[in-house]
Amino acid sequence: MSAVAQTIAQQTVAQKIIAAHCGRDAVAVGEYVTVSPDYTACQELFWPGHKRNLERIGVDRIPRPDKAVMVIDHSTSAAMGSPHHETHRTLRDWCAQQGIENFFGPGNGLRHLVLTERGFARPGTLIFSDEGNIASIGALGALNLPISAEVLVSLIQDENWIAVPPSARITLTGRLGFGVTARDVIQTILRDCTGDGRLLQCCVEFDGPGLDALSLDDRQAILASLFHSGAYTGIMVPDALALEYVRARDAGRPWQVVQADPGATYMTRLSYDLGRIAPMVTVPPDAHGAVPVDQAAGLRIDQATIGSCANGRLDDMREAARLLRGRQVAPHVTLYVTPGSRGVYVEAAREGLLEVLAEASATILAPGCTTCWGYQGVLNENEVLISTQQFNYHGRNGARSSRVYLAGPAVVAASAVAGRITDPRAMLAEAVA
Amino acid sequence: MSAPRGRVWKFGDDVHGDDGIIEFAIIRDSFGKEFDEDALRAMCFRRLRPEFPQQVRKGDIVVGGRNFAHHNHVEVSVAMRASGIALVVVESCDSGFLRRALNHGLPVMICPGIHEAVQDGEILEADPASGRVTLPDGRVLRANPFSERMVQIWHAGGSIPLLEREFAARRATDREGKAP
Repeated sequence: MSAVAQTIAQQTVAQKIIAAHCGRDAVAVGEYVTVSPDYTACQELFWPGHKRNLERIGVDRIPRPDKAVMVIDHSTSAAMGSPHHETHRTLRDWCAQQGIENFFGPGNGLRHLVLTERGFARPGTLIFSDEGNIASIGALGALNLPISAEVLVSLIQDENWIAVPPSARITLTGRLGFGVTARDVIQTILRDCTGDGRLLQCCVEFDGPGLDALSLDDRQAILASLFHSGAYTGIMVPDALALEYVRARDAGRPWQVVQADPGATYMTRLSYDLGRIAPMVTVPPDAHGAVPVDQAAGLRIDQATIGSCANGRLDDMREAARLLRGRQVAPHVTLYVTPGSRGVYVEAAREGLLEVLAEASATILAPGCTTCWGYQGVLNENEVLISTQQFNYHGRNGARSSRVYLAGPAVVAASAVAGRITDPRAMLAEAVA
Repeated sequence: MSAPRGRVWKFGDDVHGDDGIIEFAIIRDSFGKEFDEDALRAMCFRRLRPEFPQQVRKGDIVVGGRNFAHHNHVEVSVAMRASGIALVVVESCDSGFLRRALNHGLPVMICPGIHEAVQDGEILEADPASGRVTLPDGRVLRANPFSERMVQIWHAGGSIPLLEREFAARRATDREGKAP
């Protein structure tokens, strides 16, 4: 059997899901195929451009309004002087005109969480989206294929071309140590796997007993930041925990668990013992510049933010509240906390977490992207931010001379209290005791 | 359309897209607006090669190393296309860069071995449709050929111009069909 035939015979999860969406039994890695998605998820920032292009092309009706999931998440409130109020209006109107029922206006939260919490992301579904960080839906066995502005092409044609990605496999063993979060895991993976490009273009399949021990929120946190390595997307075969979550939200819509064939080919195989991972801080300006927290500890900060598609879930709110309960944010620091969705906001309120955070002097923002892309909490020259957000390049949050350090919610919350980058473990031990 | 043939601008490994090829932080307030092609042209590669914006010519080819243009918003592709770059040939890059570039009419070929095989200023010829990359000394390297649809997108100058053309043709056919 030739190498190509063998690749086709033994399929990875990504190959199987893609094949199922282009009417084929199998597809080969590197092959260019045209697939029809289950959903196309879009945010609002690019809407003015999409609207102009729809008019240029002369599109009256899109063929499958039922597949469109349109979310206003970047500009949760249209600020004075911004153009977003017009975007909100015209996007809302266009969705109504097209008969798109899955329109989620300001305050509903991130596309990532709209897709999972409302049952769009189900095992075996293929979702075109505008961003690589939406790979977080892979925690439910759904395949995110990011196609940037070409979400518009997918809306217009109900299909688009893709290159079938190679796959990599990362096996997780052990359990997270005290004070260590899923963000520390992905920061470690990015540190190890970005420079040599070994995950480039890949769909990364995660598996192993360590994965089973992680919460769904933790699994999504790992997948959400995976794209920094150059990986195309990521996925996890759903276990009982994930399937229970899906069943509670599928509302009768179909899904199917997809597993890789035993002999499927992986470009890279890696293994991580979660018990050996330490709290990490990613030093600017690269997303893979992670070091153990003690190497960055002591640096004075001006601002701290918790939220984003990486760490805006309920577990992150709990982690922040665990550290902030009975404590105060340092007087020279501003702490912004952004629940990732309305669902997270409600649950955090119900559990009393928002009360803990507010009493500790945190500012709680409306569900959405908020501080992650510098829309809120803009930095001055030379200011230092520690954040659970996605990016740390020069000028991401304001002045080019400002510096952004990335970390999990425990490190960020502890640093906000200390006013300096801080290992959270001593503070957490006190909180537990 | 014949295979692009042009002068090479050669860059290294791990060239950052948003914070290297362009300076995204300066122009990101333009979200949703038409691209400011003059501004993008003026900043294209200037941090890595200050002479690039002045000296680049229409039809030039960019050759990149491993993980070229990582972390790239679409403006990175638009900046290169607006500068007159006809083709990008790289050792490797993420899938998003290839997509965003082609969507705006700029073909990117992934061609292992290219970085060592060609020098800055040399003439390279490469055809995305066949995957054939012809080196200055006549040797040939192979990249994955574009699919038929990708070639159509490249020839039309991007996805939106192609759809414009196809929808116009469809409307014309509909009109003819309805004619008595």
